Amino acid sequence: MIRRNLSLAAAVVTATALTLTACSGGEAPAADSSKISVMAPFLEAQPPSADGAVQQKLEELTGKDVSITWTPNASYEDKMNITLASSEIPQVMVVQSKSPGFVKNAEAGAFWDLTDKLDEYPNLKTTFPDVEKNASVNGKVYGVFRARNPIRAAVMFRQDWLDKLGLEAPVTTEDLYKVAKAFTEQDPDGNGQNDTWGITIPKWGALGSNSPYDIIEEWYGAGNRWTEKDGKLIPSFETEEFLEANRFVKKMVDEKLINPDFATFDGTKWNEPFFNGKGGIIVDVDSRVSVLINLFKQANPNDFQNKVGFVGNLKGPDGELHAHPTDGYSGFLAVPKTSVRTEAELKNVLEFLNTMNGKEVATLLNNGIEGVNFTVEDGKAATIKPEMAEGKAVTTDIKSYAQLGTNVTGNNFYPVKQASDYEQEVFDKRVEVMAEDLKSAVYNPAAAFVSPTYVAKGAQLDNIVADARIKYLAGQIDEQGLKDAIKLWKTSGGDKVQEEINKLWQDSK
Amino acid sequence: MTTSTVDVQAPEQAPPPAPAPGRRRRFAVHFAHYKWLYLLLLPGVIYFAVFRYAPMYGVSIAFKDYVPFLGVNASPWVGFQHFQDFFSNPDFGRLLGNTLILAFLNLGIAFPLTIVLALLLNEVRLSILKRTVQTLVYIPHFLSWTIVASLSFLLFALDFGPLFLFINSVLGTDIDFLSDPAWFRPLIVLQEIWKNTGWGTIIFLAALATVDQDQYEAAIIDGAGRFRRVWHITLPGIRSTIIVMLILAIGQMLNTGFEQIYLMTNALNRSVADVFDTYVYFVGITQGAYSYSTAVGLFKSLVGIVLIFGTNWLAKRFNQSGLF
Amino acid sequence: MKIHNTTGGRIFDAANYVFLVLIGVLTLLPFIYVFAGSFATEAEITRRAFFVWPEQFSLGSYEYIFSTPAFIRALVTTVLVTAVGTVVQLILTVTMAYPLAKRNLRGRQLILSLVVFAMVFSGGMIPTFLLIKDLGLLNSYWALILPAAINPFSLIIIKNFFQELPAELEESAKMDGATEIGILWRILLPLSKPVLATFALFYAVGIWNDFMSPLLYLSDNSKWTLQMYLRQVTASSDLLGTGNVDPNYIPPEQGIKFAVIVVATLPILIFYPFLQKHFAKGILIGSVKG
Repeated sequence: MIRRNLSLAAAVVTATALTLTACSGGEAPAADSSKISVMAPFLEAQPPSADGAVQQKLEELTGKDVSITWTPNASYEDKMNITLASSEIPQVMVVQSKSPGFVKNAEAGAFWDLTDKLDEYPNLKTTFPDVEKNASVNGKVYGVFRARNPIRAAVMFRQDWLDKLGLEAPVTTEDLYKVAKAFTEQDPDGNGQNDTWGITIPKWGALGSNSPYDIIEEWYGAGNRWTEKDGKLIPSFETEEFLEANRFVKKMVDEKLINPDFATFDGTKWNEPFFNGKGGIIVDVDSRVSVLINLFKQANPNDFQNKVGFVGNLKGPDGELHAHPTDGYSGFLAVPKTSVRTEAELKNVLEFLNTMNGKEVATLLNNGIEGVNFTVEDGKAATIKPEMAEGKAVTTDIKSYAQLGTNVTGNNFYPVKQASDYEQEVFDKRVEVMAEDLKSAVYNPAAAFVSPTYVAKGAQLDNIVADARIKYLAGQIDEQGLKDAIKLWKTSGGDKVQEEINKLWQDSK
Repeated sequence: MTTSTVDVQAPEQAPPPAPAPGRRRRFAVHFAHYKWLYLLLLPGVIYFAVFRYAPMYGVSIAFKDYVPFLGVNASPWVGFQHFQDFFSNPDFGRLLGNTLILAFLNLGIAFPLTIVLALLLNEVRLSILKRTVQTLVYIPHFLSWTIVASLSFLLFALDFGPLFLFINSVLGTDIDFLSDPAWFRPLIVLQEIWKNTGWGTIIFLAALATVDQDQYEAAIIDGAGRFRRVWHITLPGIRSTIIVMLILAIGQMLNTGFEQIYLMTNALNRSVADVFDTYVYFVGITQGAYSYSTAVGLFKSLVGIVLIFGTNWLAKRFNQSGLF
Repeated sequence: MKIHNTTGGRIFDAANYVFLVLIGVLTLLPFIYVFAGSFATEAEITRRAFFVWPEQFSLGSYEYIFSTPAFIRALVTTVLVTAVGTVVQLILTVTMAYPLAKRNLRGRQLILSLVVFAMVFSGGMIPTFLLIKDLGLLNSYWALILPAAINPFSLIIIKNFFQELPAELEESAKMDGATEIGILWRILLPLSKPVLATFALFYAVGIWNDFMSPLLYLSDNSKWTLQMYLRQVTASSDLLGTGNVDPNYIPPEQGIKFAVIVVATLPILIFYPFLQKHFAKGILIGSVKG
């Protein structure tokens, strides 16, 4: 009885399931070349409105009916996969990173291979071919990359403390140690208490994520994730310089020049110790300098100009400057094959993207609408004050629209004018310092390569070393333990990754 | 509606004997007699068939190398590959151990505490206090784990956190809850208790509301004290609820809750912190491996179903009502 | 009804009261911090680790989130979807639980097994998404209500509750000629108020807190729910340090995070007190016995 019921039930369920799955996958209509559909993430609290001024101007400038599906940033990867699995795929998709998930879909044929196609378009032929290579999957360019500042590493410190103790801004790593030591031991805030330290480092996980650890290791000459040695590529952590850099950091940890909870400190609160007069140095991206200045400004608009000082990358013990660059890009705009079926349609989409990177649209996406929310002063975009409602709406919206900007030929828009002369000075100095450092940047030679074994288990492998590094710094294991962890990385699959990367490297030469 | 020609009976008795011997005829008569009940049942059954069972073909993802672009059918078949990878993973033993230990701690500590708190609340006769505390105590359930983690970092921060300092002054030693592997599990259980105990009392309070008041009066007249009243009347009164909740809790045992642990994990305590859920998330995100995470999910579900049916059968053995 | 209290009983009561008040405070404090923080300036939040009263009162965070109608629309939308959804889900669950409470119903064991099975196994996110799509429910609010319409756990508890109700109730009703549905409606449901209230709360909270479903199924920005904003504002900054975030991204100020939390949590928080009156001790059971 039960069995018959069961089989009956199973039959009903199966039939339902089959019917429903058979129904999926309808015919996509022939593309209407005046319409472009886009899927983009947004990180602000609210997405732009579909009939806002920016949207209208965008359609005016591109001459197309642009429908953008703004997707919340949380779970964007999931949303991307779901979109690829369904049959409602947009014609342009922002891909946030070269994730293994993306690589899998791309190699299965989900996206157009745009290698060599982009050069036919003046605004898509990039002036940063190295970055384009980095953004590629083993040489195949799957999208127009979104350019980001190529170098951002900086050391920022409490200028008032430096001044009080009569110190100079650091130039070498040894200087960094001296300043950190002074900040810890010499009561720089003058409150008579032993409650300050040098550098604040938050909980930071992955290898090669531009963490303070990665930056310091680069300064020591360990290279950037991978480095060339004796004609082969080896991971940076296999170098002697890597060990030296970590000995350096450990020395600072042991002497209490670094916050003792570096393994657990919440990254969202990174500014607090600096602002509250506890930890005087931060090693991070140069944009944080302006954020910190803003905090001081909010707290005391009359006296905030002498609190934050910064320098760029530091020289290592070998006297050389090994500056730590970024990847240079943050994802790209890819063109799915299911929605863009023919070469003709692809041409249409690429033309659209070409216009998007032109001066007019780039200005719209990054600055806004001239006369509504900004005017041009000294070649910079200055916000119109007092802010009117329309101006505010535009300024808010472009924070999201900027996600569509690729800027592969450099920034075709106006730099933003800062709120005060002092802040403008700082901003200009930042640009200058970074440009100078860029000349000494040490790139990751393996950035373009995707090794199958790495896709399968790379992140877990990396964790072995990343965790060991922290444990070593915390004193849970000694240097031998760190070396053992590196060996474990090799035997657990790291050797294979190395082999594959080297082969890809050789093939690409 | 007209009653059938068969006698009206109380629900506990056997169904009416059918005039015809065939099984199908008996069912047909039974069906006709109870047709309104089956009608009521229909929407729910349809719901389950459509929304719960139809998508179950997705389980096959666990046996394939699923690429979203290719879809379920076209993705290549890999058989038990993912399961093999999972079980032969050198970390498997550690993950299993961590998951089980946390599960038992939660079951053994947090679960009874929920009942105790419900009983304590039940004993309060000052209505305003009772209602206020009831409402307050379930607030933490609504705060996301992100906030709980943030607060934990604040309170237990090495050398600075108020709770850290407090414990230091009481015990005389430094306890780094946030990075010491030995204190990770107590911290997790503590967080879980703070966040979810209040919420868990709701169902018990509802059950307590249905315990017959007359029994209390009789007991008091017989001279029973507070504790004896609770032991002999209250607890038996909610026994079936407790058992059901216990079975369900056991069935969910391997689901340690990814977000909480993920937020509290760091390089120093990972050896005890890594559980199935965080591992799968990590693998899923960093390697786009839907298949792998589906396979592990399938494994956990299988264990869950065995546990549920097992404990349910056990409960029935002891003459309790069980889940079903 | 006066209950004579022993000395031991009085001591117990006193200790209990103190203990419960302490618990109440412990659970309330963090939320007060969030609440206070939503009215504070960014500088103060950065400066003071923990406080229950802002030194400098500021409405900036609330001005920001209420500055566009989109947010208010999300609030109204979420309230409506939750209200309708809770009613629908509760009705579906109760109508299914009642027949399953009859021990002699044929097929009951099978259906219950399938229900329990469904509690533990699921098809996964992508197949469910495809199903919703095929049913034409994409971008519809029903996609937020139907997929989780009957929670197997809730179904089982409610069923168990119906099973526990005395059989005499139904017998006497049947003798008066009542139908099955009539029995359900007129007799069992009024008695089930505590349980119904409980699951109304559970379902409401489930819908209210669900951010995954709106994220996956709603593509129209005007249909957004509150939780999407909450997630968006609080989760983005947590990715810092994983290397997965656009370098140009500057996380929202903490004050704004707090304000969003308050607005997204407060309404559902105050739902419970309204339901509490239904938790009154078995008044009605006593009345039937007479």
